[in-house]
Amino acid sequence: MALPLSNVVTGWFAKIGRSYRVTLDHAGGLGKLTWDSAVAIVSLKVRFRDVLNQMYIMGIQSLPIVFVTASLAGIVTSQQGGYQLISSSPGYVLGTLVVQSVVLELGPLLTAIVLVGRIGARITAELGTMVVSEQIDAFKSLGRDPVAILAAPRIVAGILTMPLLVGFADLVGIYAGMQMASLDVGLAPERFFYGARLFWHNWDLFYGFSKSIVFGFVIPLISVHMGLRTRGGAEGVGLQTTQAVMFMILTILILDAMFPPLLLQ
Amino acid sequence: MIHYRGVYKAFDIPVLTGVDLQVEAGEMFALFGPSGTGKSVLLKTTLSLIVPDRGDVEVDGMSVYFGPVSNIEKIRRKIGYVFQHAALFDSLNVFENVAMGLPEDELARTPRKEVARRVWDALEIVNLEPREILSKLPSELSGGMKKRVGIARAIVGRPQILLWDEPTTGLDPINTAAVERLIKRLSGDLEVTSLLVTHDVEGGLQICDRVAMLHSGTLRFCGTPEEFRNSPDNVVRAFVDRAAAAAALDMAVT
Ligand SMILES: Nc1ncnc2c1ncn2[C@@H]1O[C@H](COP(=O)(O)OP(=O)(O)OP(=O)(O)O)[C@@H](O)[C@H]1O
Ligand SMILES: [Mg+2]
Repeated sequence: MALPLSNVVTGWFAKIGRSYRVTLDHAGGLGKLTWDSAVAIVSLKVRFRDVLNQMYIMGIQSLPIVFVTASLAGIVTSQQGGYQLISSSPGYVLGTLVVQSVVLELGPLLTAIVLVGRIGARITAELGTMVVSEQIDAFKSLGRDPVAILAAPRIVAGILTMPLLVGFADLVGIYAGMQMASLDVGLAPERFFYGARLFWHNWDLFYGFSKSIVFGFVIPLISVHMGLRTRGGAEGVGLQTTQAVMFMILTILILDAMFPPLLLQ
Repeated sequence: MIHYRGVYKAFDIPVLTGVDLQVEAGEMFALFGPSGTGKSVLLKTTLSLIVPDRGDVEVDGMSVYFGPVSNIEKIRRKIGYVFQHAALFDSLNVFENVAMGLPEDELARTPRKEVARRVWDALEIVNLEPREILSKLPSELSGGMKKRVGIARAIVGRPQILLWDEPTTGLDPINTAAVERLIKRLSGDLEVTSLLVTHDVEGGLQICDRVAMLHSGTLRFCGTPEEFRNSPDNVVRAFVDRAAAAAALDMAVT
């Protein structure tokens, strides 16, 4: 009866070894994709029209959902803050709380999560379908570079669009939070902004902006990487898309957690 | 000239276990084999779309896997590839799809009118009515039409070598005959080298100079159509008989 136990143990080690290899494999793939995209951009093989087209899809078409998410985030923060602070602190602290939460955390993070669902999943499914229907092979056979045509425009568009979207989300979230504060606890807008300014650092804006650029890079990068690795037919596309979404959300949450120790000292 | 040297490729299980095959310049060569033996995989190794685990492919003396990376670019330029399932670009219409068959730099410097004329001609060659389909998307075409647009895309750049992955599967007899005439004409007039993977054994035997049969990962037969018909090898005989029976059944149905 010793055999099954040793099997369990070796199986366990094999699993660790495997996931270690998978992680390295993905890291290598992401690194190579980043490098290849950078080379394609520098050698001017990326068409500006493709980038603009992607920016339209990622930016303009995401405005409604970002608007809804950001307003709700502002409203909820304002309500909860109002409830917790009402008796203990001066009312204007609510302005501080809402603005800081939205700019530092909620704006970038929620916009990124929304974009994972709206754009990341779409890119993985789109490229995955192109892989399984041999369109990627067809591009290569015709001497075209799929990285320059498909990957690089999406990555560039992500980096350019995300900060704009986050800026929009910040404004919407703050405005909604301010309205809610006035409705909920009767805090006048001047007092709300007084509180916001009292603890404002320009650094905070830079902090949120850096986050948005990192997320804007990571979402298309991972989704393209996963899409191009799709195997199998329609089922493979579905499976790969789900995994890509998990991969992106985890990466974003981990990166988000790394920001305070790196930039908020 | 295409030279496959000991091409070995395994996915979960070995698919190609050392394929050696030489297709001469200007030759029309047919490759037969049961479904799933790796015919498409072999064709794809020619362009480095699938990288073999061992072995090499040489095209006109250039090594795909042991030469400089620029070889792959040059080789892809020489070769037109007709994909088994057409592989048209979903988001581009028929005109744009076929125009993609021209190399990028050529497309950039050719006047638009000239591009339009070449696309038009390529579509007419494969028996399609350009006026009707130029602006259609692939999703609006029938399977047989997609296939022929795929052929038009492969030939529009006037490649010196054409790899045909089952160009006639799924086409009606009239279009099958048209595609066979096209293959024959290209090798006749323009001295294009053609490597044709097909399940239409009779058609392949009629138009090709030499044929080969892939079976369980290796070449089971390589020779002239005459030798193929009279091969003493049981496996080849069984394959020929089955193909003949299938063709007879096909005739009876249509
Ligand atoms: N990209 C891939 N990943 C994993 N397995 C693959 C891949 N491509 C092909 N295979 C496997 O290789 C084997 C040979 O496939 P291939 O498409 O070359 O067959 P074929 O001879 O062209 O068959 P058919 O006549 O049906 O087209 C199959 O078992 C297939 O599952
Ligand atoms: Mg095949």
